[in-house]
Amino acid sequence: MNAFISALWVETLKARRSKVLWLTMVAFSLIPLSGGLFMIILKDPQAARSMGIISTKAQLMAGAADWPAMFDIMAQGAAIGGTIVFAIVTAWVFGREFSDRTAKDLLALPTSREAIVGAKLIVIALWSMGLALLSFGIGLLVGNLVDIPGWSQTLQQTAFVDFVGATVLTIALLPFVALIASAGRGYMLPFGWAIFTVFLAQIAAIMGWGDVFPWSVAALFSGAAGPRAELLGVHSYAIVIFTSIVGLMAVFWWWRNADQTR
Amino acid sequence: MKYAIETNHFSKSYGDVQAANDINLRVEPGEIYGFLGLNGAGKTTTIRALLGMIRPSGGEVKALGHQVGPHGQGPWAQVGYLVESPSAYPDLTVKENLEIARRLYGIKERSAVDAVIERLDIRPYANRKAGTLSSGNRQRLGLARAILHQPTLLILDEPANGLDPAGVVEIRELLADLARHKGVTVFMSSHILTEVDRLATRIGIVHHGRLIEELDMEKLARFRTQRLEVRVRDPGAALNILNEAGYQSVIRAREEGILINDPRAIERPEDIAALLVNAGVPPTRLVVEQQNLEEHFMQLTGASL
Repeated sequence: MNAFISALWVETLKARRSKVLWLTMVAFSLIPLSGGLFMIILKDPQAARSMGIISTKAQLMAGAADWPAMFDIMAQGAAIGGTIVFAIVTAWVFGREFSDRTAKDLLALPTSREAIVGAKLIVIALWSMGLALLSFGIGLLVGNLVDIPGWSQTLQQTAFVDFVGATVLTIALLPFVALIASAGRGYMLPFGWAIFTVFLAQIAAIMGWGDVFPWSVAALFSGAAGPRAELLGVHSYAIVIFTSIVGLMAVFWWWRNADQTR
Repeated sequence: MKYAIETNHFSKSYGDVQAANDINLRVEPGEIYGFLGLNGAGKTTTIRALLGMIRPSGGEVKALGHQVGPHGQGPWAQVGYLVESPSAYPDLTVKENLEIARRLYGIKERSAVDAVIERLDIRPYANRKAGTLSSGNRQRLGLARAILHQPTLLILDEPANGLDPAGVVEIRELLADLARHKGVTVFMSSHILTEVDRLATRIGIVHHGRLIEELDMEKLARFRTQRLEVRVRDPGAALNILNEAGYQSVIRAREEGILINDPRAIERPEDIAALLVNAGVPPTRLVVEQQNLEEHFMQLTGASL
């Protein structure tokens, strides 16, 4: 346990000192800020017409300038933006050990590799959830500043549950990104993987397989790939959990068994 | 524990490439073992196997009496290491990098970090980000990390890389001191023969993945010893004259010459010349030479100077 706490302390220090932490905070803050911008545009149709493309996009994504629409944007941002930004976090936490050539310094220690990998995964989960909560908080602030209608305590609670749900579903699939960053020994492959899964998630949802394709589930849950209620069932969440466990086992196996030649 | 390091028929291949082939190493506690080879000879592969970073394709590897691997297990609390180029987290300070190592090695004393900073003379850089260090200071940081937990076995891959001449001497003295006074076993690889030669108590030469020769203290001493080569037309007569004059350390006669390792002869070869001229066996050649370990190494490995 002490070794694990040490590993957690170490990973937290690395994250705290990283510029990537601040970059991801900025990137994830853009989601509610964009939502706020859409709300401003939609609240004033005259201004919306004069803004051309941006107003068209605003109509597509939000439709109305109210809190349900704002919460939808935030949840969809958490699912799609999360897939990319959380993958950046994961790629950095695992991939930097190879690009900085520090992976070899983690291999022959009294602190086990499992403790180190476990600590990395926890830091990724906390970091990602922190980003999501920051985004939700900024969304509430921006929505209040823009003064959009339709707020209620019940709506906020439901929206928060949906938002956290979409975030958790996205985080659950990050072990695969960790595995690809480790096996690929760097940043590029996991970035590519993240973009690929966003693309595949959309295709799977369009084809009607979204409920059984794990990377579509978070998008469907958030509403980013269409209405979720009819499609998602217990089996969808079970598939995400199963995929997550397989990913976790694979990343632990890799660190335990793969030849470390870099 | 009889050996600090022991490998039995250790082999490692990557596809068709045989990186290490049937390597049998025995390094006794307190030894400074120089592992010498050209680039790509199999030094780093062997070191990575000793540290459980790669799985042997064949054979077994032991460190401090413990079987290493197959899942990276080993007596790592007692092993310090530096593999290939030293690495550090560039956005963390030198001190933070060492603090990370302290935590991961489970060292309770916080003062260990300051102590090793002093020992490696990196105090002026303690609060600088590791990414801004020169390669020499990065090497010092890597060595500081390796000795932070006072290991009984140090496994170092090219420890003098990137150091300036003063740094090389300093690190050599540090390693010698650890071996002599703390009983630390040092296993160090290098492709720089002179560096290994000055420090090691035993040298293993690896080539094309095979351990092709081991030189113990006696053999090394022979390589390190100067001798006087005297060439004459009548070696037998010259040998008698030298023996009668009290030069007992005539080591052998070869071809037309005689090799003498008597310190008096090496210091004053002119006395030998005078002795032989006066006896009517004048030398045709008189030269103080050193058997060259470098030449020997080049011959073994087939490399050109």
